[in-house]
Amino acid sequence: MTKWMNKTIGELHQLLVEGKVTASELVEDCIQGVLNDSCNSFEATCFEEARKEARKIKEVKEDEYLKGIPYLAKDNYSTKGVETTASSNILNGYVPLFDATVVRKLRQKGMIMVAHTSMDELAMGGTGTTGKRGVTTNPYDHERIVGGSSSGSAAALAQGIAPMSLGSDTGDSVRKPASHAGLVGFKPTWGRISRFGLFPFAPSLDTIAYFTRDVKDSAYLLSALAGHDNNDMSTSYRKKEKYERYVEEKKTLHRIGYFKAVVDAMQDEKIKAAFFDLLEKLRKAGYEVSEYDYPSDLLDALYPTYMIISCAEATSNNANLDGVRFGPAAKDNPQTYREYMKECRTKGFTDLIKRRFVIGSFSLLSANQDEMFSRAQKARRLIVNKMNEFFDSFDYFITPAAFSLPKKICDLSTAWSTNPDFLDNIMTIGNFGGYPSITLPMMKEDGIPVGVNVTGRVFEDGAVLALADEIQTLTGLKNLTAKEVK
Amino acid sequence: MIKVTKEVIEVCAQNLLFDLNPGQADLIFEEFNTVLAQIDYLSHIPHVDEVDPMTFPYSEHQKLMREDRPSKPLKAQDAVKNCNSKLGVQVKLPKVVGNKNDQVDE
Amino acid sequence: MEYEPVIGIEIHVELKTKSKMFSSGPCNFGESPNTQTVPFDLAFPGTMPVVNREAVNFGIKVCSALHMNIARTLYFDRKNYFYPDLPKGYQITQQFHPIGTKGYVEIVSEGEKIRVGVDNAHLEEDTAKQIHLSNISLLNFNRCGTPLIEIVSDPDMRSGDQAMKYVEAIREIVTYLGVSDGKMENGSLRCDINISLRKKGETKFGTKAECKNLNTIQNIKAAVDYEIKRQTEILESGGKVEQETRRYDEALKKTVLMRKKTDAVDYKYFREPNIVPIDLAEDFIQDAIMSMNKLPNQYREELKAIGLGEYEIGELLKDQKFTLYYTECLSLGAKNPTLLWNYLMVDILGYLNKKEIALTDLKFTKEQFVAFINLLAENKINSKQGKEVLLKMLEEGKDPLTVVKEEGFEQISDESYLQSLVDEVLASNNQVVEDWKRGKDHALGYLVGQVMKKSKGKANPARSKEMILAIIGPCGK
Repeated sequence: MTKWMNKTIGELHQLLVEGKVTASELVEDCIQGVLNDSCNSFEATCFEEARKEARKIKEVKEDEYLKGIPYLAKDNYSTKGVETTASSNILNGYVPLFDATVVRKLRQKGMIMVAHTSMDELAMGGTGTTGKRGVTTNPYDHERIVGGSSSGSAAALAQGIAPMSLGSDTGDSVRKPASHAGLVGFKPTWGRISRFGLFPFAPSLDTIAYFTRDVKDSAYLLSALAGHDNNDMSTSYRKKEKYERYVEEKKTLHRIGYFKAVVDAMQDEKIKAAFFDLLEKLRKAGYEVSEYDYPSDLLDALYPTYMIISCAEATSNNANLDGVRFGPAAKDNPQTYREYMKECRTKGFTDLIKRRFVIGSFSLLSANQDEMFSRAQKARRLIVNKMNEFFDSFDYFITPAAFSLPKKICDLSTAWSTNPDFLDNIMTIGNFGGYPSITLPMMKEDGIPVGVNVTGRVFEDGAVLALADEIQTLTGLKNLTAKEVK
Repeated sequence: MIKVTKEVIEVCAQNLLFDLNPGQADLIFEEFNTVLAQIDYLSHIPHVDEVDPMTFPYSEHQKLMREDRPSKPLKAQDAVKNCNSKLGVQVKLPKVVGNKNDQVDE
Repeated sequence: MEYEPVIGIEIHVELKTKSKMFSSGPCNFGESPNTQTVPFDLAFPGTMPVVNREAVNFGIKVCSALHMNIARTLYFDRKNYFYPDLPKGYQITQQFHPIGTKGYVEIVSEGEKIRVGVDNAHLEEDTAKQIHLSNISLLNFNRCGTPLIEIVSDPDMRSGDQAMKYVEAIREIVTYLGVSDGKMENGSLRCDINISLRKKGETKFGTKAECKNLNTIQNIKAAVDYEIKRQTEILESGGKVEQETRRYDEALKKTVLMRKKTDAVDYKYFREPNIVPIDLAEDFIQDAIMSMNKLPNQYREELKAIGLGEYEIGELLKDQKFTLYYTECLSLGAKNPTLLWNYLMVDILGYLNKKEIALTDLKFTKEQFVAFINLLAENKINSKQGKEVLLKMLEEGKDPLTVVKEEGFEQISDESYLQSLVDEVLASNNQVVEDWKRGKDHALGYLVGQVMKKSKGKANPARSKEMILAIIGPCGK
């Protein structure tokens, strides 16, 4: 496998500073990793551009943490000159004319994009199996999913193909795969990082998020990416911080809470044991850890609330995909503009996407909106109000990020869940309230990692990172890669 | 609420400008049973209708707006570079005769 | 049966900003196709709307001019529908919280002062332009995203004339504010008119027809009057008015059916999640209001107060440039408002039209024009001389005082010199003076004429007349 790419950004940075490796060597190593990918992790590559960027880097200074480091981006980050399709046929051949703000910022910091990773079509899924190039597998067990929608970014990082990859998180699309792939998956506060150039799924929930294999790397990345952007009115004007300081100076807060309903509902004894073990370690480390009785009726509301809001917003956001200004054109001799667009959209979207759009659009109809979309938005407010109440007495919310091993690919269903388990949707709370939320490895079960998730108050990203780093120390699970592939 | 029927589902799809594959309308119809049950569940959450719908995750308002300074526009060739149906530098479509209001009736 | 027409009007006004409503794409007109766009205007994935401050500033001015309540927090919503000229598949507008609510406009129609309610004004974005060829349509996105303010009236109007005066008033306001070109003929101001009839005394509305494609102010009156006639005939013959959209055909001078209205389209409105609510600072709102240009109705009052007639005021206000020119001349000390109006609106306007040039192309300054007007106002030159002086100013850009000197037009008002001329004339015209005393009143004109002749036309005739009268006394009978 790769020689360098299985290291953390911090380690590679040190090597670059000391001149023990060059950016070009790192990029070549990353390219080799991409070519040897065994999980179907990629959509498009930009090797030549990456090589060119790498050649420009002559030296790396101590304070240039990200310079010369290769990275991967989910296929929904607009990248000038690189085909970007959100793993959907409707965007085949689309080559953006502009860079997403995060892509631009990372370039300015000297990071080098090497490839676009596969994902669930238009980010509307959680399995990594619905993209146009097929199933993305879990490098720890190819019969299992790695999770989605940021599937390729997770699978690639777990294979040690790069030390960092961009994902996006609307429900738990980075934090769930991070759990399944033994990675650090960080979703900062909504509005902390510009979404300009991220293909939207549900803007009121969408958040820039990313994978690393070390918490400190995630902190450095946030320092590089945070801040107001004139292209995104939802970005906050709050001062950005040096988030790595929170990690380095262990600036954690004190009170940690978990939900009674969550531990009551947990079935997997090993995961439960690992979770309680971790809570115990945190207590010993001096944290106040206690149970909170979050109402279970709101927990059961998570799935429908999430599905209705996200599908409704998605129908509107994807209305620009009509084959008119970009994307494959209609070929069946359409006679009207409607026929033209209809052919493009009929061929461009898969069945699953259409089913979601129909339900989303139905919930927005004026006769239905009060009872469907608005009702879900009201439930969202109740969920968030209650969570804010929780944060009146706690600084952190902690929960396992997954409650079982990742699903086997053969057991999957894309149907709307008839009997959703709130545990599977617990991390959507982070999107409803825009909270900073991070997943990192907690344990391994049968060699497959399971993560723990920490969520904090909005704009307390630094404190969340600091606690995650503390947990990383307590578990000793850092920089995992899937070496012993099943 | 509009009663969900297969016809309503088809109309929804047509208004979203796509055709459903055979069997999909049935599948959606079945999914709707679940969706409507879940919606019903939401309606029974205590106090759910006493709060305002929430769009943004937290209430932080914006104060600044964009200054009225135009930026350099795209070149016409670039603007239509990704377009696969064009004439010169303009997007080409079958003659638009209908009106935006001729949607399929709900 | 007597029917009462009920008319409501929606007006879309393109705002004259430098960049678009939600993007930094430039707002230039008449450029070649697709050269005025940025990625947002073409709805490339990942682009996001960013609200233009100047468009909001303009919006506040419009709302203030229409006496509306101005929102302190701005919200935007999505109006979802598919159409080739709408790249995003939705238009960003203000469905639920418009920037302005509940105002009014005052108009005068057929001598009657009427207050037309304005329900709301909201900011939104314009669509792309389609060009229809024989069997294809082409899309040009230059206009796409241009800021619009849509002004929605209450159904307060009752006649074609009122509808016309209302649109005229809105047009005057937006052009005087400098927020729009307000040109109906090129689409920077577009109206949709809803017209229905009901029995006199009823409060319920009848079925309405919507009328589009009205590209001159005069067409509004014609279309509404036609539509009232059409609907009256339908109702009187026992028929029912259908809900439909009609357009005004200028050649036929009637409205013709565009399409029957089926059930209203469901636009699936919902709050735009990419624009967090915007709090407007109080000083931003106040600055917008304080920096508003003077509005036509304010001018109207002021011009009336200095004695200008209704007709003259109306003509002047038709063009803000002339209004500004006129009022600036007044403040520069022009002494006779009527003379000023006559020379500006008759002589100068006629000259400009003939030469097809603009007010700004005049070769002389406002100060020079005021000096010219005052020469006339103070009787230093007569009107015949005035025409000659003005021509030299227009053609050669000459200073009026220079022309007067060069041409020797200066009237003699020197009292002692005039007196000597008068004395001379009276002394040599005893018979005429006798006639005057016997009641022949034409004698006076003759005497004044003699003074003028002696002075080679330069004597001030009015003063000369006064002097003669002082000596010869009243006309005897």
